[in-house]
Amino acid sequence: MPQFESHFFSSLIFWEVVSFAILFFVLYKFAFPGILGMLEEREKKIKDSLDQAEHHRSEAERKLKEYEAKLNMAAKEADGILAAAKERAQRLMEENEQRMTTEAERIKGDATREIDHERRKAIQDIRAQTTELALMVAEKVVQRSLNEADHRKFADEALEALSKSYQR
Amino acid sequence: MEESPLHPFELHDWIPISLGGLDISINKAVVMMWVVVSLVTVLMVMAGSARKLVPGKLQSLAEMMVDFIRSMIMDTMGKEGMRFFPLIATLFLFILFCNLIGMIPGSYTVTSQIIVTAVFSFLVYGLSLVMGFMLHGVKYLGVLVPPGTPGWLVPLMIPIEIMSQVARPISLAVRLFANMTAGHVLLGVLFGMAISGGLLIGWLPFAFTIAINGLEVGIAFIQAYIFTMLTCVYLGDAFHLHGDDGHAH
Repeated sequence: MPQFESHFFSSLIFWEVVSFAILFFVLYKFAFPGILGMLEEREKKIKDSLDQAEHHRSEAERKLKEYEAKLNMAAKEADGILAAAKERAQRLMEENEQRMTTEAERIKGDATREIDHERRKAIQDIRAQTTELALMVAEKVVQRSLNEADHRKFADEALEALSKSYQR
Repeated sequence: MEESPLHPFELHDWIPISLGGLDISINKAVVMMWVVVSLVTVLMVMAGSARKLVPGKLQSLAEMMVDFIRSMIMDTMGKEGMRFFPLIATLFLFILFCNLIGMIPGSYTVTSQIIVTAVFSFLVYGLSLVMGFMLHGVKYLGVLVPPGTPGWLVPLMIPIEIMSQVARPISLAVRLFANMTAGHVLLGVLFGMAISGGLLIGWLPFAFTIAINGLEVGIAFIQAYIFTMLTCVYLGDAFHLHGDDGHAH
């Protein structure tokens, strides 16, 4: 095999060592620090960004909880206010109703009483007029005058009978 | 006469140079090494000086490779292994680009030279030995006795472990060399068949050539990866004798 020709060994070894040494030196000096530094910088940057994102996330979560709690509180408060208002409205309504009922009762009572009074008065009027009418009729019929007391007595009797028959 | 499939591995002195009796003539493989060094230098130095938070294509590519090697070191050796990052990364890039450049027809696969892979593997293994003795002193010889070995087995274990230690650099060198050589020999043979087969039957080996070419690109990556990975493992072994601090390699 040509690879075992020892004639080339010395030059291959020499140039390999020299080439490798040069490459090593150049990379060691000019390439690796930059690339490794860049990699580390990027890793750090990514890590920082992730940390920051995590921080923001937890912050946002905290804020959200806070707002939720506040919202809950507000909702509760609103519920309370609504309930109070409802209760108040209910009470007012009941009060009003009661007052109205009382008022109506009073008006009805008044009216009943007035009607009763008017009715009685009307009956009395009718009674008086009827008596007079009866007297006049009786006078014409009997053609003789009775004294006032007799008249009244007859009339009352007639009226009594009349009202009895009427009531029946 | 048909061309030998080993022909692409032949070298010829292009510019004969001698340094104090040492023959350091320039040949195709040497030139390819220079090409690799230039390519890697341009790619990595440009990427290293771009330093954009949102990287471009070139920077992405370089960063991907660097990150790949870094995570490999982290996984096998832990944080203190990053001391070796420049060496291991250079090794990976050099081998990877040698493997890939060899895929270009007419070029030369430097890593198909056993002496080239041997230099790397002995460099790596030598470094692991030096590190081991520097960190653990004579106790590093304990690597020859795996933990939990019963006393009466020790005389047997020591020769076995010595063999396994010796096998490390050899297998490291031979694996890379053999993979690179075999792939190119296979391609050469298939292509030779395609040429000599003519249109009637030659299309079949030619189709295979294309398929195997794709496979070879994968192998170029995989072998560079394996070489680097084993480097990490061997150096890691020197660090953590018997995996005593949680890094079991």
